[in-house]
Amino acid sequence: MAQPAPTDTKLDEKVDYFNLPCPIPFEELHREAMMSLKPDLFEGMRFDFTKMLNQKFSLNHSVLMGPTEIPSQSTETIKIPTANYEFGATFIDHPRLLLWGRILTDGRLNARVKCDVSENLTFKANAQLTNEPHMSHGMVNFDYKGKDYRTQFQLGNGALLGASYIQSVTRNLSLGGEVFWAGQHRKSGVGYAARYNTDKWIYTSHGSNISCATCNPSGGIRNGFSHTQVASTGMVLASYVQKVSEKVSLASELMCNYLSRDVTASFGYDYILRQCRLRGKIDSNGCCAAFLEERLNMGLNFILSAELDHKKKDYKFGFGLTVGE
Amino acid sequence: MANHGKKRFSITAAGDEPGVLSRVSQSPAVRRTKQAASDAAFVAKKLLRSTGKAAWIAGTTFLVLVVPLVVAMDREQQINELESHQASILGTPPPALQKS
Repeated sequence: MAQPAPTDTKLDEKVDYFNLPCPIPFEELHREAMMSLKPDLFEGMRFDFTKMLNQKFSLNHSVLMGPTEIPSQSTETIKIPTANYEFGATFIDHPRLLLWGRILTDGRLNARVKCDVSENLTFKANAQLTNEPHMSHGMVNFDYKGKDYRTQFQLGNGALLGASYIQSVTRNLSLGGEVFWAGQHRKSGVGYAARYNTDKWIYTSHGSNISCATCNPSGGIRNGFSHTQVASTGMVLASYVQKVSEKVSLASELMCNYLSRDVTASFGYDYILRQCRLRGKIDSNGCCAAFLEERLNMGLNFILSAELDHKKKDYKFGFGLTVGE
Repeated sequence: MANHGKKRFSITAAGDEPGVLSRVSQSPAVRRTKQAASDAAFVAKKLLRSTGKAAWIAGTTFLVLVVPLVVAMDREQQINELESHQASILGTPPPALQKS
């Protein structure tokens, strides 16, 4: 009689350490929390039109009119009304290749490439070019996916080097670490992360010491720059997402910057209903925001965004329409 | 001579001594009461102002966070009811009540 194979799927019994699932990539650790707590808030009017020319290729036209903030030294926020048009093209050959580009009327160009060189090795590049000198940057990533681990090596301009590694320790827990070095600012840093996920809830925590710019290519495209997680020195971030039912999930996040003694807690909800998707969040900085996407018709979505910052007395509201799949 | 006896009971100030009314109004008890009343007015004004601010913040936050949620859930419930009503009219019991 053959022995039962060690791939034992009973839940609380023994853990098969040779058959652990592959963890999610290090940069996407906070993915679920980000989806609820950081919706794409905007101010003004936004219109997006996506036209699929082919199963793989699509063009995208987008108009955004509204006030944009200018960073100013004083405590007042200065806003200037701007309007811009963005044209983009996307080519997706699903498993292997993704090419994505966007250009704006103020001369900024964003581009991303993701290519599966082999089954386990992935090459990603992302670039943002602007008219202003010294503000363009680009980054190249090489990802290797093993059986139950992932590693990534990053190379960016301004002599930015980074590496990260994440490993599944048990079926639910994965631990990882990263190191990076920024030549331009002469800073280096180390970070650690842990993620525990079950079917119903996910807990992640991430601590880093002197972080600088790690380009996170999966977020923040709307603002025209790829989301750089610029934390100042010494940051610990913990987040918890609970899936209350299949339509509702609640998330909370705590970010402590232990060198500048700055702590922010935020709570959010994410309701995915049949006709709409509503996300709301409230912050300890006195900021509350809501984002609603409502499906008016097949391929036609109406979006509303509201953000109230009671401390700075800055209120932003936006509405828009998204056409196309 | 006749004035000596009456001096203490004159109401308005006569001569050097203050009269009864002004003595009463300068006495410590009245002064303390006045101070307490003005303090109470100051505190009440501050309380009213901060209650007003809190009510404004709570009200606008409620309007942005809770009202869309209530509206969306209400619509969802209406759609569900309509669907179950239609399903029962067409003769198939709604999936939740189907047996076997």
